Amino acid sequence: MCGIAGVVYKDKKLHNVGDDMTKMLNALQHRGPDSAGFSIYGGLGLEDNEYLLNIEVKEKPGLLDTVKDTVNLTTPIKTDEIIPSVENFVIYRCKISLDNFSQLKPLIMDVDKLENVMVLNGSHSFEMIKDVGSVLEIADRYDTRSKMGTHAIGHTRFSTESIVDRYHAHPFQTYIIPDITVVHNGQITNYWKIRDPLERKGHIFETNNDTECIVHYVADKLSSGYSLEEALEQSVIDMDGPFSYVVGTPNGVGIAKDQLGLRPGVMAENDDVFAIASEEVSLREVMDTSNVEQISPGEVRVYEI
Amino acid sequence: MREIEIDAQSKTPREVNHEIKELAKDYDRIILKNPNAMHYLIAGLTEEVEVVIDGSAGYFVGTMIHEAKIKINGNAGWFPADNMTAGEVIVEGSAGDGVGQGIYGGTVVVRKDVGSRTGEIMKNGTIIVGGSSGFMTGLFMMGGRIIILGDIAEDAGESIIRGAIYVLGEIKSLGKNAKVEELDQDDKKELKELLPTYGFDLDDSKYDQFRKIVPRSKRPFYGQESEEG
Repeated sequence: MCGIAGVVYKDKKLHNVGDDMTKMLNALQHRGPDSAGFSIYGGLGLEDNEYLLNIEVKEKPGLLDTVKDTVNLTTPIKTDEIIPSVENFVIYRCKISLDNFSQLKPLIMDVDKLENVMVLNGSHSFEMIKDVGSVLEIADRYDTRSKMGTHAIGHTRFSTESIVDRYHAHPFQTYIIPDITVVHNGQITNYWKIRDPLERKGHIFETNNDTECIVHYVADKLSSGYSLEEALEQSVIDMDGPFSYVVGTPNGVGIAKDQLGLRPGVMAENDDVFAIASEEVSLREVMDTSNVEQISPGEVRVYEI
Repeated sequence: MREIEIDAQSKTPREVNHEIKELAKDYDRIILKNPNAMHYLIAGLTEEVEVVIDGSAGYFVGTMIHEAKIKINGNAGWFPADNMTAGEVIVEGSAGDGVGQGIYGGTVVVRKDVGSRTGEIMKNGTIIVGGSSGFMTGLFMMGGRIIILGDIAEDAGESIIRGAIYVLGEIKSLGKNAKVEELDQDDKKELKELLPTYGFDLDDSKYDQFRKIVPRSKRPFYGQESEEG
């Protein structure tokens, strides 16, 4: 059992979606105590060729300098900050420039080669925050309540099979195309059947987590010309198991639910906001919920701005 | 009538339910303010008392109640009235999956749409849905009646063993062991008596449009009675 949520402001303007998502996820805290995460879109304000890296670094003499040297070999670090975390790790966050998006994944792989270092994500149009602990602990650690954006997705995790750590917290990201993230509640039981053709196409899997498989799958479809709605519809046909998942893209959010409807998903919207979540209690944090719609088995919903 | 109002704000479901069980001994009507879609509200209440939830309830509202009457002035999450043995749960809004799951008796009413598997493994009792009902409504139903005033989604009556599902709207498709019958006069009389009781006032002509989903066989899985082990 995990909690998933998404919220979009229809006017495309910046709103306090970090605070919204913090409240929505806190309302779903009972669905997953292990870790939590956010993708907050639209508020970073980076230049066209700029990217933000979030790197988990063990507190060890000289290691942070090694990380900086490794990044600087590819591109000079423009700005950076260090965010304290737990279990003797810090999160090193830096802004860089790249000539094109295709350089991002190789840079991440170079940094990942360092011992006790893991790149949590690299993004252009969204800020990813994910860590172990409760929603409110993470919200305080990363000041999520102050984050502005146009839309966001989030997750509270109850781990079933893969390990509990910062890296396996959701959202998961892909580098097939820029800035696609996924949060997920459930299991993809034909995981290897989905993963194998994606790997044959050259997509790189970093974990055995089925959520990573979903994000690569959706990005692969989008890069093949599918609309977000079409990609989600096809995923419901192709994927087995009990699942509901929420996708975030630079343009909006979407939800897909398995054909037997074995994981929950509800939505509500008004003139200003479109919101989706595992439970109504989460929707209530961002709008009046007199009209809550159940996402039906096999159904997808998308809202793009 | 002795009536009291309590506030669920900042309380756990266990605290709220304990308070209601204590108050139910002395009051006829309990109004619960600020429920905030909390799970497990009014679990296991066995007093003849009316509880008004003034807002939405979460999962398993009214699970295992006996004789209590619950009115929800909002929506309900998954499994409202789960395993109820007697009493009444009325949801003024919509509800999630598994409405009336496994009930042995009593009545569940949802004014708007409900999710999937409405009335799964119910043994007796009545479920009325003012809107539409989702996938596999009446899954493994073993008795009682479900009345859907809107449409019913795919695989209606999947593996139904006993009982009946009355549908006014469209039947998307039938599940295994389900078949459709026309209503007889007794069925229509029964619905005409029942529905207005819960505020569903239909034109007379509407009762001719209902269809009834019933089991094809009472022993769909184990063959003839002589084969019973």
